[in-house]
Amino acid sequence: MRVVPRHRSQPLGAASSRGAERSGAGAAVAHAPAGFFLNPAAIIVVLLSIFPFVLSLGMTFTNWNLLYPGVAFRGLDNWARLFGDATFQRSVANTVFFTVVATAIEYVIGFALALLVLQIERGQRFFRLIFLIPMMISPAAVGYVVGRMLFSETQGPINDLLYRVGISPVPWTSNPAMAPWTIVIADVWQWTSFMFVLLLAGLQSLPHEPFEAARIDGASGWKLFAQITFPLMVPVSVTAVLIRSLELFKLIDLVRVMTGGGPGTATESVTLYVYDLALNRGDMGYGATVAYALLILVVLYALIYLALTRRAVANAT
Amino acid sequence: MAKRLKRNLPYIPLAIWAVVVLFPLYWMTITSFKRPIDINRGVSYLPWVDFTPSLQAWRDLRDGAVPVVGPLINSFVAASISSVVAVALGALAGYGLSRFAYRWGPWRNDDIAFWFISQRMLPPAAAILAFMVMFKYLHLLDSVAGLTIAYTGFNLPFAIWIMRDFFAALPRELEESSLVEGASWPQTFWQVALPLALPGLAATAILLFIFSWNEYLFASLLAFEKAKTMPVTIAGMATSIGIRWWLMSALAIVSMAPTIALGLLLERYIVRGLTTGAVK
Repeated sequence: MRVVPRHRSQPLGAASSRGAERSGAGAAVAHAPAGFFLNPAAIIVVLLSIFPFVLSLGMTFTNWNLLYPGVAFRGLDNWARLFGDATFQRSVANTVFFTVVATAIEYVIGFALALLVLQIERGQRFFRLIFLIPMMISPAAVGYVVGRMLFSETQGPINDLLYRVGISPVPWTSNPAMAPWTIVIADVWQWTSFMFVLLLAGLQSLPHEPFEAARIDGASGWKLFAQITFPLMVPVSVTAVLIRSLELFKLIDLVRVMTGGGPGTATESVTLYVYDLALNRGDMGYGATVAYALLILVVLYALIYLALTRRAVANAT
Repeated sequence: MAKRLKRNLPYIPLAIWAVVVLFPLYWMTITSFKRPIDINRGVSYLPWVDFTPSLQAWRDLRDGAVPVVGPLINSFVAASISSVVAVALGALAGYGLSRFAYRWGPWRNDDIAFWFISQRMLPPAAAILAFMVMFKYLHLLDSVAGLTIAYTGFNLPFAIWIMRDFFAALPRELEESSLVEGASWPQTFWQVALPLALPGLAATAILLFIFSWNEYLFASLLAFEKAKTMPVTIAGMATSIGIRWWLMSALAIVSMAPTIALGLLLERYIVRGLTTGAVK
């Protein structure tokens, strides 16, 4: 599975991870302790990443609870529970909504901003710096500043300004139909910057020749974008959308600060549900099961996404 | 005339988005200079016009009205140690992956690098509960040491990913001549490659520092009381009813000032780190 386009590494010294061999690149002949370089990191990743994932999988088959002693094997009970759990199902639907809607909006705005920044001569650096800021802030603080303060229904400036132009107050976070959109707005505020940075770098790395050829043919404006720029940007776009959507599947901090998952379960995300199960009920077994359901969903999503985009990327490169 | 208008047209949407980005920060800043009475009196926008700025919130913060020093230290220690350790190990692995041909069963270098980075793509919720259980038995729950360990594991895959790219871009001639002169690979790495990669190392460390400084999920479940970090402190206070807006705003400014400053000062390096692998 290849996600991100990258250059093939061209090994300088040929060696195997099992031990040192004679390296034969050019005149360089030396013992190449390849394992010396890679093994420490590999061991740490196995201990601190692979092992926790495996242990969590094991926990899904138990009734492990931090609040009660003793652990018993429960087979697939936890997994069966998912099918009757309305909160879980709602949290999956919400998470998919956040992911699809926010990624799409961030991609469109980020792309537009990147194209616009390249068209101006003065002040490019100024806008690049400003647009980078939101990404540097912790989502918890964004949830507070954007979500709680600006969209405060009684004391926030947004409703106040709307009131001044004659629009009645909007129930940004208290209305179950509105609240998911308010979460999306806060996420777009923060992460459009990421799309902007990635797509701008992509635009700057495009070859010049196709553009010059198209210009000689008289193409400009929208035609130039649709026929040259966009097709060339497909690989970067595929990567940017994948990274951002994978991050959105993990969404918790914004939701926790802005709505706590409410009203009711209108904005509950899967990760927030796991957090609640673990912290408030100590229910490790079922919490791990919900988390694993998310993991399976994310892996399936990534595989389908890559399969669907493979041809588009291949055509572009 | 029309041409000039057309040339300046892009500034309009760019300026609008700049306002969208900056307004919340402006709002937070002026709120930190409001007193409770200014806020209860209604929505006010301009200091000295709508309301008289006051240093009350900042004095309260200084006097310990909300815990800020402890969480700042916890955030700093966990974020800085974990990023330095991750970059050190990541530089070794990244160098290895860019200079040697590895085989793990059917896996080659590209597969191994992808295996590393895929650890960062999976939802951490599935790993975090195992960390809670492990840390409970190791007595690492609610300790900065535990959080630092968790963040090191969290940061390492990304460090490897970026460092591999940095080393791949370095010229090999110097290393080859060092090897010809009889230096060992570790010596060559230490004396020749590492000094050249130092800017990349620093950029990676800063990026990882920002990630860890802002991280919420791990911190909220592994470091909930004594070892609380800034994001957990903010989230805890922002979810309560009757938020003290003025104090919370001052707190939020303190939490985001370091990373915004790093971001603005080191924009070029941060962008390079973020786009590694995604853009050729």
